[in-house]
Amino acid sequence: MTQMLKKNANDLYKDFRYEISKKVGAKSLLKCIQCGVCSSGCTVTEYVDLQPHRVVASCLLGLKEEVLSSNAIWTCSLCHRCTERCPKNVDYSFILALLRNMAVKEGKIPKEYSISVVTIYNNGFVVPYTGGLKDNIDRRRTRMGLPQIVPPKLEEIQFIIKETGLGGLVEEEEEK
Amino acid sequence: MEYAFFLGCTIPLKLPFLEKAFRDVASILDVKLKEMEGVGCCPEPVAMQSLNIDTWVALGARNLVIAERMGLDIMTICSGCYETLKTVSVLLAEDKEYLKKINGILNKINYNYTGKTKVYHFVELFSQPEWLDKIKKLVVKPLDDLNLAVHYGCHLIRPSKIMKFDHPERPEKIDIILEALGAKTVEYATKLECCGYCARLQEEIGENLVEEKMTELCELEEGVDALIAVCPACTTQYDRKEKIIARRTGKELDIPVLYLAEIMAIALGVELEDLSLNNRSVKPNKLINKLTT
Repeated sequence: MTQMLKKNANDLYKDFRYEISKKVGAKSLLKCIQCGVCSSGCTVTEYVDLQPHRVVASCLLGLKEEVLSSNAIWTCSLCHRCTERCPKNVDYSFILALLRNMAVKEGKIPKEYSISVVTIYNNGFVVPYTGGLKDNIDRRRTRMGLPQIVPPKLEEIQFIIKETGLGGLVEEEEEK
Repeated sequence: MEYAFFLGCTIPLKLPFLEKAFRDVASILDVKLKEMEGVGCCPEPVAMQSLNIDTWVALGARNLVIAERMGLDIMTICSGCYETLKTVSVLLAEDKEYLKKINGILNKINYNYTGKTKVYHFVELFSQPEWLDKIKKLVVKPLDDLNLAVHYGCHLIRPSKIMKFDHPERPEKIDIILEALGAKTVEYATKLECCGYCARLQEEIGENLVEEKMTELCELEEGVDALIAVCPACTTQYDRKEKIIARRTGKELDIPVLYLAEIMAIALGVELEDLSLNNRSVKPNKLINKLTT
């Protein structure tokens, strides 16, 4: 069970709800009526420290730190059932992606996720495709009579990753 | 019919036999596929959207522009690629300010997205009435004796306000394609459950979801010959984890997992030796016996 959290009203980050809801697609946060439909249909509901309706309640209350460091935001499989079933059209799975974006900006990011951008940055694909691995893949495809892989335009992909602000993350991960 | 063929990463690089099956089906049905020059990862919806929504959308829009320049709609064969490219196209159509922001990034590499290209998953195409008729006429090996269970997966059908693909709680498009091939599809309680592949942080989530679905399918009275999926992640998740769970629990879980294009290829006359049906953890021996006797 989750531990009881005691916090003074003055210590709440009251603008958290607006920080989220001003983002495109996340306005719906403010419409939540805490009915719990999202949590009852959630694929990972029994594995999270905060169920979906409690993540939303925490956002509305201003518990920014608690939300961004919860395991709930990274455990979700983005199955979108919450968004599909919400009677108030709260787009929880999109809000959750935004919360992940915010956690990333604070450096809170599991390596299972950061690895993807590093792989795409170096290969253009989310599957490694360089050196010996590339040779094996190419040989296998030729054997099967499949056409050669058309190489991705890596410099364009790398430009977009840097331009949208993930260049720093790629550098950090590669230094590790 | 000609489409810009968006291959993605997982299928061409890790599971090329699924691509082969799809290309065989497309060729029999006379769907022309044109390779796309310079595309990269769609990019992968779960991690990239989580890290930075703008990166996800801008990389996706770059891929869409390549199809626009070809003057063709896009054909995808993976639910992840389908979700990313379709979501990006819907987001940018609905929000002109955001489109301006994304084009501001793309213009620096001489790309400009206008929204001309439509994004398809092959299920979407083949489940249309005229294609079902065409498929029925071209079946040379009807799957009359087979009971198949369909796994739709999450990203093909949800969120329905974006995907606008099938009913989010009672989808039927894959079922009707299989019925056109002569097979029977079974109804089962865990049909719409997620495969758990994208719940990356806890291995047990995926294992429990796979165990639940495979156990139910093994216990169904009508006897299930195969689970049919349309996404490379779901396909490998069920196949690999089913074997691991069977070993760990001693349960007899032996339902093979096939990609929709593979079973279509069989019905449309592709020889079994030209497919790689044994290229998986749970070998479809019983299914192959049934198909060859």
